[in-house]
This record gives sequence, C-alpha cells and structure tokens, in this order.
Amino acid sequence: MIRILWLIPAIPVLAAGFIALLKRGQRKLAATAAIGALGVSLVMSVAAFASMLGNSGLQVMNFRWLQFGTQWISLGWLLDPLAAIMLVMVSFVGLLIFIYSIGYMAEDENFTRFFCFLSLFAGAMLAVVIANSLLLLFMGWELVGLTSYLLIGFWYHKPEAAAAAKKAFIVTRVGDLGLLLGMVWLYGSTGTLLFYNHGAGCLEHGALAVLVAHTTIGGMAVSTAIALLIFLGAAGKSGQVPFHIWLPDAMEGPTPVSALIHAATMVAAGVYLIARVYPLMSITVTPGTISTALQVIAWIGAITAFFAACIAVAQDDIKRILAYSTISQLGYMMLGLGVGGVAVGMFHLITHACFKALLFLGAGSVIHGCGGEQDIRKMGGLRRFMPITFVTYASGMLALCGFPLFAGFWSKDEILHAAHGWPMSLGPFYLGTAGALLTAFYMMRQVYYVFLGSRRTADEAAEAAAKAADETTAAHGHATAHGHGEPHESPAVMGIPMIILGFLAAFLGFVGTPAWPWFSDFLTGQTTTLDFGRFGEAGLLPLMAVSSLMVFAGLGLGWWFYGRKPIVSASQPDGLEQAMPPVFGALRRRLFVDELYAVTVVRLVRWGSALADVFDRFVLGGLAGLMALLVNGLGHIDNSLDTHAVNGGFDLGCRELATGGRWFAAWQSGRVQTYLRTIGIALIVLAVMLLWWGKA
Amino acid sequence: MSAVSYSQLVWVTLPEIALVVAALAVLACDGTVLRGAAIARRRGVAALLACVGSVAAMLLVGSGPASFHLPDGMLVMDGRTRVVQVALLVLTILTVLLSEAMLTPAAEGVAGGKTAFTHHIGEYFALLLFATVAVLFLVSTQNFLLIFLALEFLSLVLYILTGFDKQSQLSTEAALKYFLFGGISAAFLLFGISLIYGLSGSIDLSQIAVAALQPDPLWMIAIVMVVVGFGFKVAAAPFHLWAPDAYQGAPTISAGFVSSSSKVASFFIFAQVLTLGVFGAAGSGMWHGAAPGWVPVLCVVAALSLLLGNLAALVQTSLRRLLAYSAIGHAGYLLLAIIAHTPQSTSALLYYVFTYALTVLGAFGVLAALEAQGIDRIADVAGLSRRAPFLSACMLVFLLSLAGIPPLAGFFGKFWLFGTALNAAPQLGLFWLVMLAILMSVVALVYYLRVLKQIFVADVPANAGAIHSGLVTRVTLGVMAAATVVLGCDPGLLIRWVVR
Repeated sequence: MIRILWLIPAIPVLAAGFIALLKRGQRKLAATAAIGALGVSLVMSVAAFASMLGNSGLQVMNFRWLQFGTQWISLGWLLDPLAAIMLVMVSFVGLLIFIYSIGYMAEDENFTRFFCFLSLFAGAMLAVVIANSLLLLFMGWELVGLTSYLLIGFWYHKPEAAAAAKKAFIVTRVGDLGLLLGMVWLYGSTGTLLFYNHGAGCLEHGALAVLVAHTTIGGMAVSTAIALLIFLGAAGKSGQVPFHIWLPDAMEGPTPVSALIHAATMVAAGVYLIARVYPLMSITVTPGTISTALQVIAWIGAITAFFAACIAVAQDDIKRILAYSTISQLGYMMLGLGVGGVAVGMFHLITHACFKALLFLGAGSVIHGCGGEQDIRKMGGLRRFMPITFVTYASGMLALCGFPLFAGFWSKDEILHAAHGWPMSLGPFYLGTAGALLTAFYMMRQVYYVFLGSRRTADEAAEAAAKAADETTAAHGHATAHGHGEPHESPAVMGIPMIILGFLAAFLGFVGTPAWPWFSDFLTGQTTTLDFGRFGEAGLLPLMAVSSLMVFAGLGLGWWFYGRKPIVSASQPDGLEQAMPPVFGALRRRLFVDELYAVTVVRLVRWGSALADVFDRFVLGGLAGLMALLVNGLGHIDNSLDTHAVNGGFDLGCRELATGGRWFAAWQSGRVQTYLRTIGIALIVLAVMLLWWGKA
Repeated sequence: MSAVSYSQLVWVTLPEIALVVAALAVLACDGTVLRGAAIARRRGVAALLACVGSVAAMLLVGSGPASFHLPDGMLVMDGRTRVVQVALLVLTILTVLLSEAMLTPAAEGVAGGKTAFTHHIGEYFALLLFATVAVLFLVSTQNFLLIFLALEFLSLVLYILTGFDKQSQLSTEAALKYFLFGGISAAFLLFGISLIYGLSGSIDLSQIAVAALQPDPLWMIAIVMVVVGFGFKVAAAPFHLWAPDAYQGAPTISAGFVSSSSKVASFFIFAQVLTLGVFGAAGSGMWHGAAPGWVPVLCVVAALSLLLGNLAALVQTSLRRLLAYSAIGHAGYLLLAIIAHTPQSTSALLYYVFTYALTVLGAFGVLAALEAQGIDRIADVAGLSRRAPFLSACMLVFLLSLAGIPPLAGFFGKFWLFGTALNAAPQLGLFWLVMLAILMSVVALVYYLRVLKQIFVADVPANAGAIHSGLVTRVTLGVMAAATVVLGCDPGLLIRWVVR
C-alpha cells in the first residue's frame, strides 16, 4: 500500500491538469474526471485505512529529491492511523461536495474551471495529509492556499470576492512565513525535514533531544521556538485569533468551496499540522510538565472558541454565522490538542468536518433555493418548502450544538473533559463551556430565522409588486414578483450528499464515546473494548450533565429571544438587540477586529509603503534617473555616430551598389552590336593583360 | 588515330541512341496518330514518351560499362561522368514534367493571360530530347572536336527552343541575339582550339596537357579564346550579355532548361578542359605578382560575374531577368571552384551545380505555373502566398536555397565550395576572390528577399483570385522542393556520388 500511496494525491492533480485542457463546454467530462479521480482516491484511501486496521504501525517511504552541496533534500510519504483517517475524511467529504457541486454550479459558465480548481485542491490537501516531510507538507500547504485563493475569487467580477481572495492569501501568508521560518530553523538544527526516517527523522528521539538541549533568546528551548513558529502557520491556516479575519470574508466563494475548503478540510489542515508534529509540540526539558507550545495552543484555542462564538451571535448572513462558528470550532480543536492530545483534537476535527460540511451544504441549498439570498432576516418558514434541507440541517445544527448523543456532543465533551482536567488553569475550560452555550444560542437563532416562523420575503415581494405597479404597468410588476419566485427544494444531486452527511452528523460520534473509545485507541494503536464502567470515572458524568445543561440553556435562550414571539418582518430589530443594544452592536461589527487592524497593521503598512514610496521615488528614482540620463546621453551620442557616420556610410555604400547595378544593367542596351563588340574588347583586354603579365 | 569498332561505338552510345529513338517516336506520334487531337492529349503522350526515353537512357547509363576510354578521348566514361549524365537525365525529366504548366491553355477571362505558347508539341519535346543527347555527348568526351560538335549541337537546339514562341516578338529577338552571340563565341572557341592544335599537335585533352607545360605567349591567346567560348556558354561576365534577354524572351521552360541542364554540362566540360587539358598553364591570381595562365583570366571573369550579376540583379523589375542576373552571379561562384582545381573543389562544383540546377529549374517551374496569369514583374507576385500558397512555399524554398540559407541545399553547396576554394593551393591567391564571393552572397540575399517579401508580406491586389496549377506541376515542384530540403539537411546523399 505504502508504495502506491502517492497515487492518492497524484490522481486528482492529474485530473485537474486534464480538466484544465478541456474546453469550456465540456462540462460533463470535467465533472466526471474530477469525481472519478477523487473516487479512485477514496477507494485507495479506504484501502489504506483498512490496512491500518490490521496493524497500526507507521509506514514511511522516503526518496532523495535534490542535492545541494553534499546534502540531499529528501521527500517522502507516510501512512499511520492519523494520516489514514484524514485521507478517508478528506476524500469522502470531498467526493460528496464534488457531487453536490454539480447541482450547485449547474448554471455557472465556468463550470469546468471550478472542477479543475476543486480537483487540484483535493490533490494538494491529500498531499498535505500523507507528507512525511515538512517540505512536502509545505508544498501541499501552499498549493491549498493557492486553490483557496483561486476559489474564493472564483467570481472575480465581484469586487468583494476579489478583495476577500487577496485578504485570505495575505493573512495566511503571514502565518506561512512563520511556518517557513520554523522549517528553515528546524532544518538548520536537525539537518532533516523528514518526520520519520528510521530514527533519523526530525520528530524522532535523536533530533528532539538536540532541539530540547539547545536554548535561544530568553532561555527558550529551540524546540519551543520552532514549535511556536510552526503554530503561527497553523493559526493562520486555521483562522485562530488574531488571524481569523480572513475566514468570514472567504465566504464570498461559492458555497461548496466554503463547505469543502473553509469548513471541512483546508482550515483543519492547521489542526492536522499540529497533530502531525505533536511530538515536537509536546517535548519538554523535564518530562511530566506541559510544554510552553501546548499551553499557548490551548489558550489561543480557548480564546478563539469563545471569541468567535460571541461574534457569530450577531451576524445576519447565513454563511458568515457558519464561518464564525467554524472559527470557534477550530478553536475547540486547538484547545483539544493543547489540553488533551492528538486523539481529542482530531476526533472533533473529523466529526466537525462532517457536520460543518453538512451545514454549509444546507446553507448552500437554502441560498440556491432562495435565488441567491443570504440574509437570514429575509428568509423564514423555509421548513415547508425545503423539508430535506431542514431535516438534515437540523441534524447538523444539533451536532454542532453538542446536543446529547449527536456527534458533536461526544467530541466536544471530550475536549471539555480534558480541559477540566488540565493542571495549568481552569480558564480554558470556562471559556469552552461558555462557548458551548453561545454555540447553541446562535444556532437556535439561525434556525428560527431561516426555517421556522413565517416567510418574510413574500411580504416584501408583494410590497415591491405594489410599488412597481404604481410606477409601471401591472404586468411588469407581476414579472418582478415572479422573479423572486417561491423557494424550492434542491435537486437530488445536492440532496443525497446532505442526507449522507446528516446521518454521519447524528451517529459518527459513537466511534469515540467514553464507553467505546475506538477513535483514540485506533490512533494510539490499542484494541478497543466496550466498557460502560468508564462513564463512572471521576467527574465525567457531572461534566456531561453540565455541558448538556449549557446546550439546553443556549437553545432555551434562543427560543426566548426568537421563538417566543414570531419574527414578522425583515426590518424588525433583532431580539437580542432589543435587550442589549450596545453589546449586540459591537458583536455585529465583529468586535471591531477588522477596524483594529485597519488602524494598526494596515495603517502601519500604509505608512511603511508611503515611506518606501518616497524613498523609492526620490532616492532610488533619482539615482535611476541619473543613470537613465547618462545612458540616454550616451545613446544619443551613439545614435548620432550611427546615423551620420556608420549608417550614412552604409547608405552611401548601398547607393553605390545600386548605382553600380544600374550602371551594369545599362550595359544591357539590347543592341546586339554592342554585345558583340564587348566580346571582342574583352578578348583583347584579357589577352593583352596576360601577355603583359607574361612579359613581367 | 586508331580504328574504332562500330559495334563498340553503338554499345557505348546506347543511352544517346535511346533518346534519339524517343525523340523520333515523339515526332512520329505527334505528326501521325495524334494529328488533330486536343493539345492536352498530345502533350500527355509526348511527355510520356519523352519520360520513357529518358528513363530508358538512365537505365542504360546505369547498366552500361562503368568506364571506357575510346581512342583520342573521343568518348570517355568514368564514375563521375555517369553521375553527371544521370543528373542531366533527371533534369530533362523534370523539365518535361514542368512543361505541363506551359502547354496548358489559360483559363478564359484571365487578364493578361497567355494561351499555350505553341501548337508544335511534338517538335518541342523532341528538341528537349535532342538537347539532352547533346549534353550527354558533351560531358562524355575529352576530345576538342567532339566538344565543339556537341556544343554546337546543343547551342543550335537551344536557339530554337529560345525562339519557340513564334507569337512573341521578344522570343524571336532573344533567339536571334542568342544565335549571333553564340555564333561569334563559337568562332572564337574554334579559333582557340585551332591555336591549341597548332601548338600541341593534338585535339585530345590528355595529350594537350603534356604539351601545355611550356608557356608560350600564343598559349595565352588560345586560352583566352577558349575561355570566351565557354564563358558564353556558362553566361559569365562579360560574355553574359545574351542571357538576360534570352531568359526573358524565351518560353519559361526553355529558359529553365538553358539555366539548368545546359549549365551543368557546360560547367563540367569547362572544368574538364581547363583542369585536364591546360592544367599546366594555370598561373596565379594573386593581387601582387599574378602569373599568367588561365587562373588569372578566370579570376577576372569570376570577379566580374560576381559583381555584375549580383549588383545588376538588385535593380531588376522582371523576375526572369532577375533570375538571369542571379545566374550570372552563380556562374561567378562556380568559376571559383574551377579556379581552385583540386579534386575536392571539382566535387564541390558538381554538388553546387546540381543543386543550383535543381533550384533554378524549380524557380522557373513556379514562374511557368504563374505565367498563365500574366505574372512576370516582381510587383505582380504581391500577396502570392494568399493566392497560391503551395507555389509560394515552393518558391520560398527555391529562392532561399539560391540565396544559400541553411538548412537548404544551396547553403551547403556554397559552404563547401568556398571551403574548398580557401583550401586550394595558396599560390593561386584565391582569398580575395572568396571574400568577394561571400560579400556578394550577402548582397544576393537582398534581391531574393525582395521577391519573397512581395510574395509573403505585400497585400494582395484587389480582384486577384486564387491561382490554380496542374497536379503534375504541383507534384513535381513539391518533389523538387523536398529534395532541396533533404539535400540540405543530409548533403551526404549527394556527396557520395560526386566524390570520386
């Protein structure tokens, strides 16, 4: 299996290349190629996963890539339970979203381009997953960044989309710089970028010992510094505070992209990276203590989880709510990694991938059905029009809230449980619990606005029709009203992926319950036993009760603000806004983070660039101008030399040649007497010449 | 003189006999069976017979005795002569095939278009075959008497071919000029030959060579006269004056024949006469201290040809006159190879003259195909690449090869020729002449490119439609262009035949 593992990312990349060569009209072929390629990848991923079920040892395959000096840079790929489970998740969720995209993008004229990018993304993401070298991982990492950029800006004719694409690229690039620095430092310290290489890899004992032994500025261990730099990259990609600002804007991309890249897979790549280099993250000088890097990760994760959940409460755009929710959940994953280890964080990553993809697909279905409307205040009552979307969405929403027995319940509980047992501080636990309450609240709010209550667009359409009737003819008004149309359920090609994900959102959690912790045992390579007695462990059941209580409280609050009195009009102020206007206002403005950046970082950069501009224009520009003047002057001298001396001479020569030609041609008088005389003259001249030479 | 058995004579002249038979068959057929038939039919049958005769002659050359030497150098055959004969026969076949375009009545309503230039189809092909007989004899003899006879035979046929277009005043005038000029030069040549006979007591080149070792002022006169005679034949300045008029006035294919087959044979025999016959009287062409002999004479002639041919070509407006002056220029290059007179330079001469004949015949073939449209001046071919893309592409290959652009055959020919000339005996002092030749080949590029610019860059004139050409013409031209490319890319194909 390990020998052909590279095919898993290679096939979608090849498919992307193939699709890139297709013509715009070959839509079916493009979709078939992308889906077929990812299908093959899925089959191979499942096979790899199955091979891991038997023996969960680590397999690696390294090869030399290029040489500089006496050193070789090696690349390679690996297969371990962590990679196997990610492979299955990425290719499976990816495949479902590919299929969904057929329906969602059906009317887009750049359908083939879309599938080309999607396919390229899938290949790059799978490469990140199987990389056994930080360098190969970085290549895939940058490629997914590129495809993310391309797909956010897919509708590049919208200025917001173009700006969002740039923002995403630049913000993640700041994080990537950290990753790159960490990578270079790691290579400088250990001489290898391979994770595992039969004892010689950078995540193995020898290299880690070296890293821990050395200290750098401020007495910090080199391992900590490198780990923090790598975390910077992960935070950029996974939208951790303060790098989260790009992710909500990224919702300008098509919804399948939001589901695949900005919810299920790419943003989770940061979490995966931390899980992959976990030995480096957790290494400490004195065994038994918690490393600085993990502490940072836990705190940043907890803050992100709470902070983003707050902002999500006050958003009106259906996709933006989900985007902030994603950030919040990514925070939970980081928190899980920080306080509980790889299995805790990764379990939430997997379950979240399913239900968040589902929620995005549901949101896409809603948007599709409402003719492009994204403002939840203008929806309402969609339950009647879109039953499948509603049921699956509800499943995803309950999973996200952590409603008991749904997937999110088990994975989030595990994180909270681990946070509760964290010896350093209980702060992350409190932040996480509060975040859980907010999560339930904002999801309840969203569901009330979108699916329950009465339909609000209909009223406005009627209003618009009435207004239009005043201005123009009634027929025109009717056409306008009809343009809005009734919301409609999405086609089966979109519905079926949602149903599959809906089931997973409800039941996937059972692979990681405390009684049957298969997931963490799979990752650590132990056999799993069913033991309900584990529920009795200290503090587990009370904790579950507290967390369930939080969920119910959040749902109840949601009902109190939005369900008690039905929302009748789109322009009616938000329930929470009526209760606490200043708080709501601040939240709606996303706690002014963007503004903060605008007055600090962006302004600093502006000043810097203005300064650089001045420097460029006057100092460098002056120098360059001087040079240009000098060169120009020389050029003029050269030119005049050329024109008058060389060219003139040449022209003269050419004229002479032409004159010569004319003179020769004039000889051709056409008079045969002249011709014959010529022979005689030539004969005499030649003979005399020879004789004269002969005499001399 | 020793006796010659007639059976042996017949045996060694079988190729020529086959050609004569074919020529008579063409005449007979055309005059009896096909009397009153359509021109196209007569043309087809005559061309077929001519081709059959040429192919038969080629086979006979190939299967005949590999070498023989009749007494007094009457008829001499060796490997190289055979190669030249085969090449001449190939050129004849190509000429016959290209005649299709000339003998096709122009489509109705073409402005300035010409009708088929003659109704005497049989005579035309028969004369082509007779001319071939003459060139075959010319290259296979080393005897002044036979050389003169063959030359005269060839010249007479060519005069007729030049004046074959009886409706055209230009054609008649050209033929008359050609004839007068040829007559005078023949007289000089004969005078030269008789002087040589008087000095050496022989008309066999190999025996003259023995006598020519001691220089004598009279030798110089004789040599100059021989040079005049052959200089006329190869159109070297200042004996070129007939060429522009003849090329322009003659039917295009006749001009093609004059510039290809006749040129190959004349250069070959010219080289034979000078290098075999008067080898001893070479002299030196150095700027300072030129020694008398035929080398300085040829140096003057070659330099004059190079200058005159290439410079005068610059100001021509008629395509055929342009080709005539370019032929004079090429004669200059070829004389360079004769002057060098090393074995390599003779091989280079043959390679050059073969490829030159091929390309110039091709260029005339393209002109012949265009003639039905009344195209003669350079301005007429404006935008030709849109009107006749295939013919234009062929013309591109031919003209670039004539200009000596790699990877075409003409490039390698020039390269090899200049190389051997530089490697020639240093006392010949050829360096300045080679430099002049290289300079002049740069000038030559200008006028070829001017034609090509008209063809490929200039706008198509209004109301100019597509030009159609016959299938045979197109196939023949295509094969010739392909051969030009192939011989340029792999000169070895031809080299191993011309290197003795």
